[in-house]
Amino acid sequence: MQAWQKLLIVAALATIIVVAGTLVYFNYFTKRRLFISTTTSLYDTGLLDLIETEYEATHNVDLNILAVGTGIAIQHAQNGDADVVLVHSPSVEKTFLEEGYGENRKIIAYNFFTIIGPEDDPAGIEGKTITDALDGIVTYGDSLADQAGQTQIWVSRGDNSGTHSKEKSLWSKAGYDYESITEEPWYASAGQGMGATLNIANEKEAYCLADIGTYLKYYSDGTISLPALILEEESLLNVYSVMAVSPTVVANQSIHEKISFDDAMEFIEYLVSPETQQLITNYGKDTYGQSLFTGAVQPLIDDSPQPLVSWIQDYAFFDGSECPPQYRNGYADLYT
Amino acid sequence: MMMAVAELKKVTKAYGNKIVVDAVNLQIREGEILALLGPNGSGKTTILKILAFIENPTGGEVKFQGEKVNFKNTEKVRLQSTLVFQKTTLFGTSVYNNIAYGLKMRKVPKETRDREVKKALEIVKLEGFEKRNARKLSGGEQQRVAIARALVLKTKLLLLDEPTANLDPKNAGILEEVIDTVNRENKTAIVMATHNMFQAKKLPHRIALMDEGKITEIGAPAEVFGKLSKNLARFAAVDNTFTGTAKATASGTSKVDIGNNVQIEVTAQRQGATAVFINPQDIIVSKTAVESSARNVFKGKITEIADLDSLVKLKVDVGKPFTVQITKRSFSEMGLCLNAEVFITFKASSVQVL
Amino acid sequence: MADVLGGIVEAFQLIVTGDPEILGIVSRSLLFSGTAVILAILWGTPLAMLIAMKEFRGKTLLKTYFSTLIGLPTVVLGLILFLIFSRGGPLGFLGLLYTPAAIIIGQAILVTPILVSIGVSAIESVDPEIMSLSKTLGASESQAQVAVLKEAASGIILSDIASFNRAIGELGVVLLVGGNIAGFGIRTDVLTTAISRNVQIGEIGLAVALGILLVLILFTINIIIVVLRKANYIVELAKAPYFRLKRYRETK
Repeated sequence: MQAWQKLLIVAALATIIVVAGTLVYFNYFTKRRLFISTTTSLYDTGLLDLIETEYEATHNVDLNILAVGTGIAIQHAQNGDADVVLVHSPSVEKTFLEEGYGENRKIIAYNFFTIIGPEDDPAGIEGKTITDALDGIVTYGDSLADQAGQTQIWVSRGDNSGTHSKEKSLWSKAGYDYESITEEPWYASAGQGMGATLNIANEKEAYCLADIGTYLKYYSDGTISLPALILEEESLLNVYSVMAVSPTVVANQSIHEKISFDDAMEFIEYLVSPETQQLITNYGKDTYGQSLFTGAVQPLIDDSPQPLVSWIQDYAFFDGSECPPQYRNGYADLYT
Repeated sequence: MMMAVAELKKVTKAYGNKIVVDAVNLQIREGEILALLGPNGSGKTTILKILAFIENPTGGEVKFQGEKVNFKNTEKVRLQSTLVFQKTTLFGTSVYNNIAYGLKMRKVPKETRDREVKKALEIVKLEGFEKRNARKLSGGEQQRVAIARALVLKTKLLLLDEPTANLDPKNAGILEEVIDTVNRENKTAIVMATHNMFQAKKLPHRIALMDEGKITEIGAPAEVFGKLSKNLARFAAVDNTFTGTAKATASGTSKVDIGNNVQIEVTAQRQGATAVFINPQDIIVSKTAVESSARNVFKGKITEIADLDSLVKLKVDVGKPFTVQITKRSFSEMGLCLNAEVFITFKASSVQVL
Repeated sequence: MADVLGGIVEAFQLIVTGDPEILGIVSRSLLFSGTAVILAILWGTPLAMLIAMKEFRGKTLLKTYFSTLIGLPTVVLGLILFLIFSRGGPLGFLGLLYTPAAIIIGQAILVTPILVSIGVSAIESVDPEIMSLSKTLGASESQAQVAVLKEAASGIILSDIASFNRAIGELGVVLLVGGNIAGFGIRTDVLTTAISRNVQIGEIGLAVALGILLVLILFTINIIIVVLRKANYIVELAKAPYFRLKRYRETK
């Protein structure tokens, strides 16, 4: 036999050992792994780390959080590569339910996007409604002498993220054509993540739409100094929901059997429990002096405070329910 | 009749349409030194490679120690025969690892290996070189390592391809001595290819003349060289070997006309067809004609310069090409270059008449 | 902009104090990429030997194919492997997605073209006589091939280093098939993915610390190899005066 043939056999054996070793290890020596597909903006707040610690202390499951971007988060679930989906995009969630990939949706928390801007607020938007504020920004932008784009007063994520989609919808709601806004000399597109966009806005002393989690983190550690000018308005609402991936989606039941639909549901039940809801509401208070999220379960049961509950219902309910009956699968007590 | 170590029967080797070995019959006897003498491209190297079992013949049969060799599986017989290449090839590692390589392949235990390597280095006069990087040695030392690497295996058959080509006289002398010793002490059968007639005359028990893939003449050196004159014209490619017609002179010497108006004076008294050989070391090179007692002075042009270790090998065309060797130092001091006009001078007594 | 200087100071603090988070990330990077390169050497070397030592049709095409693959963007390979290892994909039944094995196999596939391409040219540049030489000294076909391989060692070591550098520095494969899972159980986050995430969430100090470590690891490994290769040379250098003296005495 020739040397390369011997080596190839060794190589094949080594590959088999790596694969088999991994399989044996994961099947017999570790806790069951529950894969949670989520968006980076949620993961980056650190809330899920806290939830993971608490959950694993009481449950014999290893939570594996996949934070690889909104699009691929959904893709994961469709391929059966995730067991639970945790996102904040009602329209996408609706499609997901309708196509039969998701089941037992629960709204678990909410917070608000915010518009931040320079301390002296030259466009005078502080405390205004979002529509008035955007009007103010356009007026101020147009009033600037045209310096061939030297002064930019609005920085957009420009990266097709969830936050970017939100920005687009805000502009159209205020009666503007987003395409023409992007061509204004005072408009800047960062094309990057929230952190980088915040840094750019800070340098330029510009206005910007931000998610509250990232904003508070950057603001509290002094990385940026722009204050939040508009808070808690209906159109700035951000709602987080959780869904279990339908057991019929999972392509390979045999491999997946160690993690069951019931494990996913157990995690969802944990998230909506009063203790976890309290944990979510308190998260960030110590660090930032205010919460990053508010638990949504109890408000929806109590139908109060208003108008918040009706905002949530308008924004994130489908057919008057957080999860219409046809998308439920057992676990009836979740919806009582 | 002595037993044959190896025997070639009608062995032919062709690369594509080109026949390099043409139905050769050859016996290698136990304990003999056999020289294959012939110009470049006459098939010597191919025969050696076939005898080393690293080249498969296209036709014919090879017997080794009485048994027919199956060229599909030569792993076993290869252990009994080894070849030292003309172009010195060493592994890029220490001298020790080079010499011990074949012993390792034969699963010889380490202590024996160490001892054998030490002995082999002594034989080639490179004591204590074990840990040196083989490729950083001089050319002559490298060739001696290559020989030691073959000797240490104590094979039935030792094959040497131009063992002293491109060596300075000191290294060549050491090697010739080694070949002789090994043959006498271990009774190793040795086949060496050479185109150095001088060497061929000195070392071997038998000589086989090769030309265009065929063996044209085989026998004891004296016998072959006796018959050589009529074939020798074909061997003109061999350095400093010329054929011509000899005429006795009045002073008791002879003059051999080798053509192109070149007449070489020799001490022997000869008449008629004669072959002569001049050892390259015996020729003096100068930029002007030197006055001396030497009888042979020719003017010519340098047509080739080859770098040996401490020596430079020059080809000087004086009508016939002469090969001369001078030290590197005198080469640079004289400021010689290609196409430079030089004189070559040698004594009548240093011309060997074959 | 973030305070870069502060980030660097914090980075050194984290490194010097041996922060367990950082140690974990570094050791995972070393383990995954190291195993991947070993695996790739095991299958890349015979491939290189096969291509370099055998004559067959399409040899040039195959060589071109491998040298082209060297430049494949890691994220493209990552995506392809993700779709293959995904539970819905052809190898989904193995359940390898988001396991270290997926990262190791992915990175091994990523660096195989480097090993094969450089390996082939290293083997092809070995004196063709080495093969015959080994054989006439008693080596079998297989042992002779190993001898040729040894002669090509320096080129092959070069390809090993280049492969390791690429494996430990890549982001696409490890992110897509590894999932960048941090937390408390099985983790698949490594230096590159952790750097990328920490930049995203504004943990500049940690990101800089990890970046410095990544560079340090590459630097250390390259230095070790250079020293190992030079070591032989240095020993030779140290011995040279002794041998010169000895030869001088001999000539006297």
